[in-house]
Amino acid sequence: MKYQFEVIPSKCIGCRTCELACAFAHAQNQKPGKSRIYPLAYAPDKYVPVTCLQCDDAACVKSCMFNALRRNEETGAVELDKERCVKCGACVAACPFGCALIDDVHDEIVKCDLCGGSPACAAFCPTKALVYKRV
Amino acid sequence: MRIDSIAKLSQWRQECQAKLAAQKRKVLVCLGPGCLAGGSDEILEEFKRIVAEKKLADISVEAVKKTGCHGFCARGPLVVIEPEGIFYSKVKKANVAEIVETTLEKGKLVEKLLYTDPRTDKTYTDYKEIPFYARQERISLRNVGQIDPDEIGEYVARGGYAALAKVLTEMKPQDVIDAVSQSGLRGRGGGGFPTGRKWATCAREESDIRYVLCNGDEGDPGAFMDRCIMEGDPHSVLEGMIICAYAVGSREGYVYVREEYPLAVINMQKAIDAAHECGLLGANILASGFSYDIKISRGGGAFVCGESSALMRSVAGEVGEPRAKYIRSVVKGLHDKPTVLNNVETYATVPVIMEKGADWFRSIGTEKSTGTKAFSLAGKVRNTGLIEVPMGISLREIIFDIGGGIPDGREFKAVQTGGPSGGCLPADKLDLPVDFDTLTRAGSMMGSGGMIIMDDRTCAVDVARYFLNFLVEESCGKCVPCREGLYQLHKLCVKICEGKATENDLALMERLSKVIQTASLCGLGQSGPNPFVSTVQYFRDEYLAHIRDKKCPAGVCRELITYTINDKCTGCLACIKVCPVDAITGEKKKLHVIDQEACTRCGSCYAVCNFDAVDIV
Amino acid sequence: MVHITINGKVVKAAEGEMLLTVLKREGIDIPALCHHEAIEPTGNCRLCMVEISRAEWEGWKKHVTSCLYPVEDGLIVNTHTPEVIEIRKTIIDLQLANCPDSDVIQKMAEEYGIYKTSYETVPEGDNCIMCYACTRICEVLGKSAISAVMRGHKKVIAPPFGEEPPDCIGCLACAQICPTNVIPWTDTDSTRTIWKKTFDLITCTSCGKAVITKDFAEYLMAQRQIPKEYFETCDECKRMATARKMGEIVTKAQEAAL
Repeated sequence: MKYQFEVIPSKCIGCRTCELACAFAHAQNQKPGKSRIYPLAYAPDKYVPVTCLQCDDAACVKSCMFNALRRNEETGAVELDKERCVKCGACVAACPFGCALIDDVHDEIVKCDLCGGSPACAAFCPTKALVYKRV
Repeated sequence: MRIDSIAKLSQWRQECQAKLAAQKRKVLVCLGPGCLAGGSDEILEEFKRIVAEKKLADISVEAVKKTGCHGFCARGPLVVIEPEGIFYSKVKKANVAEIVETTLEKGKLVEKLLYTDPRTDKTYTDYKEIPFYARQERISLRNVGQIDPDEIGEYVARGGYAALAKVLTEMKPQDVIDAVSQSGLRGRGGGGFPTGRKWATCAREESDIRYVLCNGDEGDPGAFMDRCIMEGDPHSVLEGMIICAYAVGSREGYVYVREEYPLAVINMQKAIDAAHECGLLGANILASGFSYDIKISRGGGAFVCGESSALMRSVAGEVGEPRAKYIRSVVKGLHDKPTVLNNVETYATVPVIMEKGADWFRSIGTEKSTGTKAFSLAGKVRNTGLIEVPMGISLREIIFDIGGGIPDGREFKAVQTGGPSGGCLPADKLDLPVDFDTLTRAGSMMGSGGMIIMDDRTCAVDVARYFLNFLVEESCGKCVPCREGLYQLHKLCVKICEGKATENDLALMERLSKVIQTASLCGLGQSGPNPFVSTVQYFRDEYLAHIRDKKCPAGVCRELITYTINDKCTGCLACIKVCPVDAITGEKKKLHVIDQEACTRCGSCYAVCNFDAVDIV
Repeated sequence: MVHITINGKVVKAAEGEMLLTVLKREGIDIPALCHHEAIEPTGNCRLCMVEISRAEWEGWKKHVTSCLYPVEDGLIVNTHTPEVIEIRKTIIDLQLANCPDSDVIQKMAEEYGIYKTSYETVPEGDNCIMCYACTRICEVLGKSAISAVMRGHKKVIAPPFGEEPPDCIGCLACAQICPTNVIPWTDTDSTRTIWKKTFDLITCTSCGKAVITKDFAEYLMAQRQIPKEYFETCDECKRMATARKMGEIVTKAQEAAL
């Protein structure tokens, strides 16, 4: 893997800019998509942006019977091939971190794709709690 | 008895021939489909019973034999007495005692059972002289009607398995393919693809397994050639398949027979078992080192399973649906292995070609369509039955000389060749030579060999409607043009028959037909509109009469005709009695009248009237 | 690598690739109802037909379904000839008669300028276009719980004998892939019914929201070795749990630093 996406919860202030950036980065037909990143409060005023960990031995990839989830070796992201996806929901149920989900607006399964190599969330994070870097 | 050498086969043949020669007199009872329906099985039993009882000098019970279809179905049940070839037609069980007494005991003829040609009033004794038989040349049907299909010995006595012996000992696989190619043999199932080229392609393919299949799924209405071969001479099919398997290097194969042919299944199975027992099928055939085995695969009787890719899926146990063939089945067929699929008649022809040579076969027929072709004559023709004629013979010769012309004093209107997806050819095409290419050019096709003859009381639109209905029923339903297109084409055709259509509908049908022909997935769909396309090509006036004048010139389409009674009516009351809706009124010896409001145009009055007093307008 | 000519433009393609894939990549609008990347092409809908020829065919051409036609070097493809358009229009027209209430078909018909079918509306039309996408996707799962039965115009997609399909796991792949959305199913809080078979849904142990059917979860556990506990909570609760877990780690780290 050439790149790594790093989440630094201690820097997260729960501003939810990443969520907005993600939704707009994945807009279709002038409609923002469902965010693939969730800044959640684990304690009062303490946040962690939960998003796909791009697991090495990913449950979502294993659960897909149609081979619609594959790793992009370049960016390190597990990407969803929309042409192959049947929307059966196996990955949604199988992901232990809850990071594959259903976008009701666009009627599709969504998960973090690291924006194809330039993640919008990291670009917009004001505190640099999200970092995408070469390793 | 296991035949494990060529010498043993020759010896066995001599024994079989001697055994047959010892039977001075033979009674051959036709057990073909037509005669069987006429009760010929009972006739056979009756012969056996009486012959056993009488203990005649010249004939034993074994010499009373059942045979496959003799061909002249219109005159069945048929009984032939050999060696004279005395031909008794329309035999009833009650006639058997008389035949035994008069012919077998006294050597005289039962005149009333002999065949008289209604056109010449000439009576024939020997069947070989009857015009129906005299004009034929039988290759694939050589043994059908001549031998007991259950007796492998009779097949062997008539030269059976000699071709196989020759092939296995004297020829290399490539020699066989070359001989078939040189013979010009083309697929008898309808496509007319050169058989030699098919075999060569299969043999060329790199593969550990190859299959040789036989298509016995004859599904065209009115066609029964393959059935008669499988029922009447199953060994010729097996021999052809074994030769093919040797040529292409196959070790196993299937005969695909439709479930509606129970006797064909039984006879083919018996033949397979007998050939197995003699070492002519299975491992190490004739001790040549070559092995090939055949199993029967029974089809559920779907028309589409006659299509090669659907057939192969059905053999493999899948749903019988065609697949798109950008890779041909000869390369990737059954279980995705190279597969030769030929029709029953093609295989039955192969042994003769091997024996007599490619040049001999080429000398029969035309340049591009060599050899002979079997046809089944059905419909409005005197001599319905099974025939085999040299390619290039004219339709007129088949229908009028062999078929005996149109009965009941009616006029010939059209002949449908090639089954439901073939086409109808009118009277001015009667002199066309029957070969693959000419029929295709004329808008029909050779097909598997069904010929349905129609007289002037047949409505072209109604014929199209009938066959479209058949194809709608038999479409597998996989692809849209065939499933929805033929459905709508049939609906529109019904609309014409009912007098509700406009000329726009006719134009729509023609446009739709073109799309179905180009866009359908398999051959069945692509040829699906043919019943309409060929009738509208030759009988457009009739279509327009239905549309513009709301008339059915042939007097068939119910909504467009009326039945009236003319002054030939004698007042016999017959029609009144038969009318199911009491639409006819009248008194004895007075002119009857049909109430047009009540009449359902069922035609019962027309059928029952003995005085030509019912007119159809 | 092979070179083919599409509407006059030379295009590179991988050997053995299906023509439709190449056409789509080139951004050419080809309608296709039975095509889906997750299933093998079968060529049922016939909408993706194009005209092909080769220089050496000397003007001879034929029409093929591009979804099933492997590209080969030197192929000349024309995607919008009058004949091709006529085929597509006729097929859509026929489908419109068969599926008068399908908005997918209606929309497609409008794109081709058909507002009313030229044919008689099929009385028993049920909006199913018989594309086999559902049976094919079920086959991919190794289940084949449903198949096309009967033939011709009477053909329907059904479970064996029209009864509850024993092999169905309630995954909804068939309903989801259906291009005309005609496979109905209903969910309650804890059950799902499809093909007349009712399944128990696994409900989230913390919030009670339905996850997937028990049968589907068991299937994924057996086929793909997904641990059972992954299916016990819903995605939302799993995210929350992840946040807490990460929070714990952060807190611990911060405490250790102090």
